[in-house]
Amino acid sequence: MSELTIAMPKGRIFEEAYEMLLEAGFNLPEEVEMSRKLMIEIPEEKIRFILAKPMDVPVYVEHGVADIGIAGKDVLLEQRRSVHELLDLKISQCYIASAGLPNTTMNEIAPRIATKYPNIAMKYYKGLGEQVEIIELNGSIELAPMIGLADRIVDIVSTGRTLKENGLVEYEHITDVSSRLIANPVSYRMKSDRIQDLVSRLKKRVD
Amino acid sequence: MSSIKMFEKPLGMRDTFPQIYEKLEAVRETGRTLLRTKGYDFIKTPTVEYYDTVGKASAIHDATLFKLVDSQGNTLVLRPDMTTPIARIVTSKLLKEKIPQRLAYFENVFRAQQQEGGRPAEFEQMGIELIGDHSVYADAEVIITAIELLQAYDIRSFKVTIGHAGVLSCILKDYTESEKQAAVLNELLVKRNYVGFEEAVLTFDLPKTKSDALLAFIEEAVSLSSIEAIEKYVRKNDALDYMQKLWKLLAEAGLEKYIAFDFTLSSHMSYYTGMLFEVFAAGSGFPLGNGGRYDGLLEHFGAVVGATGFGLRVDRLLEAMPQQHIKNTTALVLFEPGAFGRALQQASLLRGQNKRVTMQSTVGLVDAEAFKEQFQEVVYCYKQEEEQ
Repeated sequence: MSELTIAMPKGRIFEEAYEMLLEAGFNLPEEVEMSRKLMIEIPEEKIRFILAKPMDVPVYVEHGVADIGIAGKDVLLEQRRSVHELLDLKISQCYIASAGLPNTTMNEIAPRIATKYPNIAMKYYKGLGEQVEIIELNGSIELAPMIGLADRIVDIVSTGRTLKENGLVEYEHITDVSSRLIANPVSYRMKSDRIQDLVSRLKKRVD
Repeated sequence: MSSIKMFEKPLGMRDTFPQIYEKLEAVRETGRTLLRTKGYDFIKTPTVEYYDTVGKASAIHDATLFKLVDSQGNTLVLRPDMTTPIARIVTSKLLKEKIPQRLAYFENVFRAQQQEGGRPAEFEQMGIELIGDHSVYADAEVIITAIELLQAYDIRSFKVTIGHAGVLSCILKDYTESEKQAAVLNELLVKRNYVGFEEAVLTFDLPKTKSDALLAFIEEAVSLSSIEAIEKYVRKNDALDYMQKLWKLLAEAGLEKYIAFDFTLSSHMSYYTGMLFEVFAAGSGFPLGNGGRYDGLLEHFGAVVGATGFGLRVDRLLEAMPQQHIKNTTALVLFEPGAFGRALQQASLLRGQNKRVTMQSTVGLVDAEAFKEQFQEVVYCYKQEEEQ
């Protein structure tokens, strides 16, 4: 049996995905000590987990240092890397939306959009036939309309509470997001038995 | 923009140091020997081509082309692949001399790199093109040659996955209600987005038999070890017959164990009209290469003939190849001033024994001990009284 390296985002998604693997019958320790470790070896199943930032998971998988990984659809849409998208795990479901101050319209000459997803935002407004200027931020995106940096923001929404608390309203629903199982194209072929087995076992848990 | 430092190279450009250079030469030598014994002739084309001819026809995305402008204002490109220049040269000249043509190449190609490192912008590609033969035997020959090449490089763990544009388009057409739906699904397969494929099928509101068939197809057709498994999805057609014949030929060559079928394989280029395949090997995170039948490209250059071939990326080949040892012994002939004549004799004697001999004078050395350590053998030539 070949060794399988799985790249996972740290934190809640890891816990949920780990739970799914346990339910799917993988022989994993009930509790993993998360501490500051970046790699967890499971010799019983010949599995190695790499713990990464969510944005970095597709990078590891594309370069083949991880065979498979779990990545948010938002990250996949933003980075458009050459990985295979195998399964929707239906965990951490949310969506990407545009939002802004209530009862405002976008500036007609040069509408400005603040986001940490410049590619997704650009593609969405292009699709609407609208040329916008993207301002890339790394966090606290909700600030941008409040202090006059941008007309709209494009960001992840899960409950909508953050928007509300900052006096913003949602304008357009752009796309749904959830965690996906992705695979490196070479691993997908060379370790196809292991990966297919994992996909079909996880698929039963998802449905 | 920060200013460019003296040591910098453009993004994605790499130096080839002696060790890698030797490996590349070994790869070239092995490949050349094999392909020539199979009747392929090597060919070279210009590094720079017109954008309007080769650039536009190439399967490589426009954004990754290196573009230049000549003194007449024409846009030029650094060749992004070898298949397109060969299609140009074959249709304009070579096909008048002999048909079919079996051509091979080992050349550097260029792909501009805007985002990030980790991918070279210039790399060697090795491949063959079999042009002027539309038969299934030509496709079989191309796949067999690809496998023989990998074996010649001692790569043990590899896989070739084969699909057919005709089989796929037949399935997509039969199980959808409009051309638009088929196009959407095809696009998702090009991106290898199987999740998106399933979602799209469910949103199309197809009759249950059709959507069930598509969902079963996507689950099963990705990796088939034999051709029979696909037959239930597709009505009898020429493309399927063709693949059955191809499978039989590959089985006759005894190569079944390296082959898997993937009927979801699809290319973003519309000129891949028939069989297409990808080559994977353990050791490299990226596919080693790909190939297929591209009659459509030749048509673009004005010739209606069959064409098939493949290209392998040499940089990834090096990653997948087992470590190789350099055979020649290295020797150093270290001489004092005045002993030059004897040093020359000594060196040619050693070279006659097939050793790599470096001649070095002691006066030109700063640290003789450190220099000597790099050689397997050291011979001293001292100054002798009678030579003065």
